[in-house]
Amino acid sequence: MTERPLVRMTGIGKRFGGVHACRDIDLTVRAGEVHALLGENGAGKSTLINILSGVITEYDGAIEVEGRPVSFAGPAGAQRAGIATIHQELDLVAGLSIAENMFLGREPRTRVGTVDIRRMRRQATDHLRTLGADLDPRRLVGSLRVGEQQLVEIGRALSLNARVLIMDEPTAALADAEVERLFATIAELRRAGVGIVYISHRMAEIEVVADRVTVLRNGSVAGSVDPKAASRDDIIQLMVGRSVDALFGEGRNEPGDVLLDVRELAVTPRRPTPGRTEPAGVDLSVRAGEIVGLAGLMGAGRTELLETLFGAGGSGRRAGRVTIDGHPYRPHGPRTALARGVAFVPEDRRGAGLMLEHSVTDNVVLSALSSLTTLGLVRRQAVKRTVAGQLRALAVKAASPTVATATLSGGNQQKVVFAKQLLTRPRLLLLDEPTRGVDIGAKAEIYRLLHQLADTGMAILLASSELPELLSLCDRVVVLHRGRTVAALPRASATPQAILAAANGDDAKEAR
Amino acid sequence: MNPPSPTAVAEAPPETPPRRRPIRLPRDRHAIVDSFFRFQSLFGLVAVFVIAIAVSPVRNGENVFLSSGNLANIVRAVSEIGIIAVGMTFVILIGGIDLSVGAVLGLAAVGSATLMVDSGMGVLPTVLIVLFIGAAFGATQGAIVARLGIQSFIVTLAGLQAARGIARMWSGGLGIPIAYGDGPQEAPESFSVLSGSINGILPVPALLFLAIGVGALLVLRSTAFARHVYAIGGNEKAARLSGVPVRRVRVTVFAIAGLLAALAGIIHAGQLNQGSPNDGAGYELDAIAAVVIGGTSLAGGSGSMGGTIAGALLLGILNNILALNNIDANVQLVVKGLVIVAAAALQKLRPRIA
Ligand SMILES: Nc1ncnc2c1ncn2[C@@H]1O[C@H](COP(=O)(O)OP(=O)(O)OP(=O)(O)O)[C@@H](O)[C@H]1O
Ligand SMILES: [Mg+2]
Repeated sequence: MTERPLVRMTGIGKRFGGVHACRDIDLTVRAGEVHALLGENGAGKSTLINILSGVITEYDGAIEVEGRPVSFAGPAGAQRAGIATIHQELDLVAGLSIAENMFLGREPRTRVGTVDIRRMRRQATDHLRTLGADLDPRRLVGSLRVGEQQLVEIGRALSLNARVLIMDEPTAALADAEVERLFATIAELRRAGVGIVYISHRMAEIEVVADRVTVLRNGSVAGSVDPKAASRDDIIQLMVGRSVDALFGEGRNEPGDVLLDVRELAVTPRRPTPGRTEPAGVDLSVRAGEIVGLAGLMGAGRTELLETLFGAGGSGRRAGRVTIDGHPYRPHGPRTALARGVAFVPEDRRGAGLMLEHSVTDNVVLSALSSLTTLGLVRRQAVKRTVAGQLRALAVKAASPTVATATLSGGNQQKVVFAKQLLTRPRLLLLDEPTRGVDIGAKAEIYRLLHQLADTGMAILLASSELPELLSLCDRVVVLHRGRTVAALPRASATPQAILAAANGDDAKEAR
Repeated sequence: MNPPSPTAVAEAPPETPPRRRPIRLPRDRHAIVDSFFRFQSLFGLVAVFVIAIAVSPVRNGENVFLSSGNLANIVRAVSEIGIIAVGMTFVILIGGIDLSVGAVLGLAAVGSATLMVDSGMGVLPTVLIVLFIGAAFGATQGAIVARLGIQSFIVTLAGLQAARGIARMWSGGLGIPIAYGDGPQEAPESFSVLSGSINGILPVPALLFLAIGVGALLVLRSTAFARHVYAIGGNEKAARLSGVPVRRVRVTVFAIAGLLAALAGIIHAGQLNQGSPNDGAGYELDAIAAVVIGGTSLAGGSGSMGGTIAGALLLGILNNILALNNIDANVQLVVKGLVIVAAAALQKLRPRIA
């Protein structure tokens, strides 16, 4: 692999106001190689690939594609040069169908010049099949789960038949099965000579797919390593500048009384929505001070369960019994839930978690405003102090608390959602993929924080598609399959095999 | 990851020396740029004011535009639209629109005249009833928007028709003149303060506009209610999941818009000494124009009350100076259109980060 690289970026620099997002970065992408880009939240990874994919057009430095200097006027230019990108933040059009999204701007035509809808649908279905997703191409993207949207996005990039494929955290919302299929696809592309830039915060993935690793820190290249030769600790050391101690649930307090108890919870939606799996017989309980994980495949109904418990699910008839502290609990909406001490971190931070154009401060205090007002008037100093404290506690990296939340890196946006919910001082915390897109250092911090919170007696129910996360964090793992509880595994017997088997519905009979 | 203090990042010292001399772009520079856009309508207002002085005709050595009589005319003429625009700002901030305000103004004007002249009611009960009607009308529209999830454009378009219809039925389709006195078919003398001035200088309607504008400005600056309004406009779903009472805020906001439109209608009746069901036609568009010139985004979630007030004044001065120079009313319309586009275009240039 000594021939001319497909892409050579040299001396790339970019600043946003006072923030130096990239400085003097060199990066090459060779044919048939997976080049992993690592770094903490806000290290500048997305900025760098936004430059390469034509999203950012003003920058310092030079880009060559196959030896020819290029400067793209926009994403379309990059695509024409054979560079396809899967962006970190999903940018699909909610009101269009899957097929329409995949071929947006380059719709296949029939002989008379109209859009060839049939061909579009057929090809969309094919691309999704290779990824193992069986989705009707006519469905509106707005009705898809985050993970499904991510698959559509990947499918779109594949359909471009690009020579360079950039993937910015493509697996952040995917469960293990989908990740495996994506890796198979990547292996095929690599054999076909496609050059791939791969960004992820999941170290295990890097070890599997990467041929070369470049680590960014504070906008500069901190080093390049061979993932076969370097240990995980070395890489983390490069990323964070220190080693991150592994996390284990030792020294935890004994859980207290049952705080949340769910018995045979089922929801019959008034209007069934395709793609939603409402609870259909959920049994689980969470004690005070306990962290319970929710496992399951995509579409198992984890998100829907959490939404129902927060009063944010679809409307419909509810059956079963839910209690908090032994008292019946039927939230009519998020307000009643919050009033009962239940908080929720949704998985779709852009759609449901944040006001992107508003300041970080506005976002952080929104849920807890009532505790920061006197007679309806907001106490500014108190707000300022609270926000500063909260941002420090979660190590949020932002130019200042007054900048628009959209300018934060993906992982830092996630921390803002987190900060907001914790401000309500909940007793039961519902988390849906809480560390999606969060870097390894911050992840460890969030884990530590969750343990601390649990030790203060908070009950935590956490849905995650990352098995290692569930295994290392949770006292118990409840597995859902098609909206039903199929297993409740205590920490000792919660092995990846046991969880996966249950998630696939293998032993649905023997479960209770 | 050592927790960086919020400002430390902004001024991150270049550890590796960049190739070019670092251009220190202190945040102040951005703050200045940002304030310009934040207060663009204020700058616009000052600019238009200065231009108006320059191009104003001069009579007997006196600048006509600057004469106290003329200035009083401007604020008087602006006050009704201004008060409506204050309510409209709330509605637009939550990402809605209220097309019914002009018609509600007409309904309120008719209501004021009928209640006093035909029903012989006193001023206070009349005002209270009319304000209540306006607020209830707005709240109903808000409830329909919130409950049924119909777009406010549609709901208030229907509301516009309904309010006009009710006003016509109530008045028999005719303007109802208001005569003052103690006899039957006469309104109490005190209602005529609305056409008067304080010390002969500050017109009473302008005073009301000022009071309401300042009040709304304070509400928007420092209440939790305002944070909720902005939040709904910014991302309704996120607001709902954060525990914002989205429906209640919606209904309240439309009620405020209706209430203020009714107040404008009362003022209208007081100034013209009559209430006609066709009063206020097209006022909703002028109010929207004032809000847009004030820099509030029609998408909701961002904007300011100060901007709206300045926007309303700017429009008033513009109309006035064009009229003083005997410029054709049709040309005035075109100029107004250009100003709206220019204001919106300026907002597009606003940088995202402060
Ligand atoms: N449009 C913007 N305006 C201002 N600052 C920005 C903008 N985009 C990015 N930044 C800043 O640039 C820095 C790098 O951001 P970037 O998104 O590249 O990080 P990242 O490495 O992709 O992080 P993550 O892992 O969280 O996605 C961050 O400090 C971010 O706040
Ligand atoms: Mg990123």
